[in-house]
Amino acid sequence: MSEGTTSAEKSCAEHLGIFTLKGDIPIQGAYRDICYQPLRANIWTASEGIYRTIFLEGKKSVVAFDTFGTPGTARAYAWAMNRVFPKKPVEHLVYSHEHLDHTGYAFDLAPNAKVIAHDLANRVIVARESDGQKAADQTWSGERQEFNIDGCTFEMIYPGPTHGDGNVAAYFPQHKTLFMVDTVADGVGYTTLMDWHLTHYIPVMKRFLSLDWDLFVPGHFWMLTRERFIQILDYWQSLKDFAQEAIIAGVDPHDWNDLNRYTDEHLGPVYRNEFRYYEYAAMNLSRYMQEYLSGGWGIEGNLKPNLSPL
Amino acid sequence: MSLNRGKFTLEKARAYLEHEPAMQVEALSDRLFTVTDGHCRSIFVSGLKSVVAFDTFGTPGRARAYRNAIETRLPGKPISAIIYSHDHLDHTGFAADLAPKAEIIADELCAKVVKARGAEGQTVPTRILRGQRNEITIDDISLVLLNPGPTHGSGNLAAYFEKERVLFSSDTILGNAKYGFMPDYHFRNFVPTMRSFLELDWDIFIPGRFGLTNRDGFIRGCDFIEATMTECQRAFANFVPIWLYEPMKGFVGGALSERFGDLEGFDGHIGQMAIRIVHHYLMGGWGLEDTPSGGVLLADEIKV
Repeated sequence: MSEGTTSAEKSCAEHLGIFTLKGDIPIQGAYRDICYQPLRANIWTASEGIYRTIFLEGKKSVVAFDTFGTPGTARAYAWAMNRVFPKKPVEHLVYSHEHLDHTGYAFDLAPNAKVIAHDLANRVIVARESDGQKAADQTWSGERQEFNIDGCTFEMIYPGPTHGDGNVAAYFPQHKTLFMVDTVADGVGYTTLMDWHLTHYIPVMKRFLSLDWDLFVPGHFWMLTRERFIQILDYWQSLKDFAQEAIIAGVDPHDWNDLNRYTDEHLGPVYRNEFRYYEYAAMNLSRYMQEYLSGGWGIEGNLKPNLSPL
Repeated sequence: MSLNRGKFTLEKARAYLEHEPAMQVEALSDRLFTVTDGHCRSIFVSGLKSVVAFDTFGTPGRARAYRNAIETRLPGKPISAIIYSHDHLDHTGFAADLAPKAEIIADELCAKVVKARGAEGQTVPTRILRGQRNEITIDDISLVLLNPGPTHGSGNLAAYFEKERVLFSSDTILGNAKYGFMPDYHFRNFVPTMRSFLELDWDIFIPGRFGLTNRDGFIRGCDFIEATMTECQRAFANFVPIWLYEPMKGFVGGALSERFGDLEGFDGHIGQMAIRIVHHYLMGGWGLEDTPSGGVLLADEIKV
C-alpha cells in the first residue's frame, strides 16, 4: 500500500501498480515459479519464463536486480533468492530502468532493501506514484558508476537513450558478463518496441562492444553470446531499410493485414525462422515505419547522445 | 533540384517524397478552410493579405500540393505563417517546401524536438508559444491556440475558432476507430486532457486524419479510448496473453463491439489499439508525460 493510501480506499489487497479497475486484480497476486541458476562466480540469474534478471551473492547479503512485474512474482523472486541463500537477506536492490514490469514491486520483494537507480529512472518513478514501486534511496547520474556492495563489485553503465528512462546495464568485467534489460533479446521480439528511442538505439547499444564481455544476460528469455548480440542488432538495423521500402510501397502502418502480407513477402525469406517472428515481425515493422513517418519521438528520441566507445 | 528527405535515407524514396496528391479543400466559413490529402487533414485561415496555414503535410510533394491548393482557393495571398500542430514529420515535416519564408509558430516543446531532430525540410520554429493558452493575431486573424496537457507527440497545439464554433486538434481524437498502434500517445492524461476541450463552445471537430466529426462524435471518441483502456486492464488482470494480437483483439474487441463496433475501422484496428494500451498498464506509462503531473525528461537540454 503506498504512503497516504488507506486500506479502505483499496479494493484489492495487492499493490496495484497503475491499475484503476475496481475489484480484484487476479494477476497481481498470482504466484509464478521462478527458475534460477548460477552464471559466473557470484552472479545468479532468475526467470519466470519470460522475464529475466540477476542477483548477486554478497558476504552477508544478496544484491538483487529488479523486482519482476507483479506483487506475486516479486514475492516468488524473493522466495527463490531465499532458497538459494537462506541466511543472506536482500539488502540492496538495483533497478535496471523504471518500467513496472521489471521494477514495479520493491515493496513486495524486499521492503527494507536500499534501492539504487539512475537519476533519470528515479525522476519518472517519483512522478509516477505507482502503487508498489519504491523510489530510490540512492541515485547516480552520468554514464558510469562503480559499486562495491558487501563484496559484490560491478559497474553500472548508462549508455544513452535506448528503452524507457535511465535504462542501465550492469557490467562485470572480471567475469566478462553484461546484463541489460529490454534492449537486446533473442529473436525478433518486443511487439511494437514499446518506449524504445529508436533513432539512436543501435549506435548507443553498439557502444557496449567496446567492452570485454562474452555473456549477455537480457531482460527476457535466455542468455546470449556476444555474436548473437551483434546479430540481433543487425536485425534491427535491417528494419531501417525494410521500413522505408514498406512506406514507399504504400503499406499502411496501421493496417494489420497489409503489414503481415508485406512482412511475409519481404522479411520472411530472411527472418521467418527467428524466435517469435510470426508474432512480432509485423509489429516491429510498423514501429520502424513510424520512425520515418513521424520522426523520433520526444526529446529522448531526438537528443544526440554520446556515441564514443565506453 | 535538391529534395528535402525528412529522415529517409534510401534513394528510391524520391518518387514517394515528390508525389503530389490531389488535395480536397472544404470551406468552413468565409475565412476558415479544411484540407486533406485523403489521409492527413489540416486547416488554413485567410487573412487580409495573407494566409495562416496549419501544418505542412508529410512529404515535400504533399507540402507543394497543399500550397497549390491554398493558392487556388485564395489567389494572391501568400502563406505568411505556418503553425505546427505538433512535431511529427507526417504533419509538420516540410515547411521548407510549403512556404520557406513563412514565420513558423509552435509550442516550446514542439520547437525543442524539431530543433533536436534536425530533419531535412522541417524548419525550426521562429516564434515560440509557452503555456496552456495563447491568443495571437496575424494579418488580422485572431487565433486561440491551446495546449492543455500531454496528448500525442510533443507540444501538441489545438486551435479554437469561437466564431465558427470549430476545434482543430491533430492526431488526438478521430471520427472513426482507425487509431492503429497509437504511436506517441500519452495515455495517462490523454482522455482528461481531451475532455477539457468540452469546456469550450464548439460543435465541429477537425481531427488530423480522416473526416470531420461533431461534438457528439468527439465525446464518443473520448468514450471509446477510455473504454478501451478499461478493457485492456481487464485483459491484463485476467491473464489474457497481452503480447499477442489475436487474444487481445478477441478480448477487447469482444467486450467493446456492441458499443463501438459501428465505428469505421473498429474490427481492423481494435487489436492493435489493445496491444498498445495494455502495455501502458504493464509498463506504467512512458516518461514523465505519462505521470500525473506531466512534464518531459531532459527538456532543459534543448534551448529554443
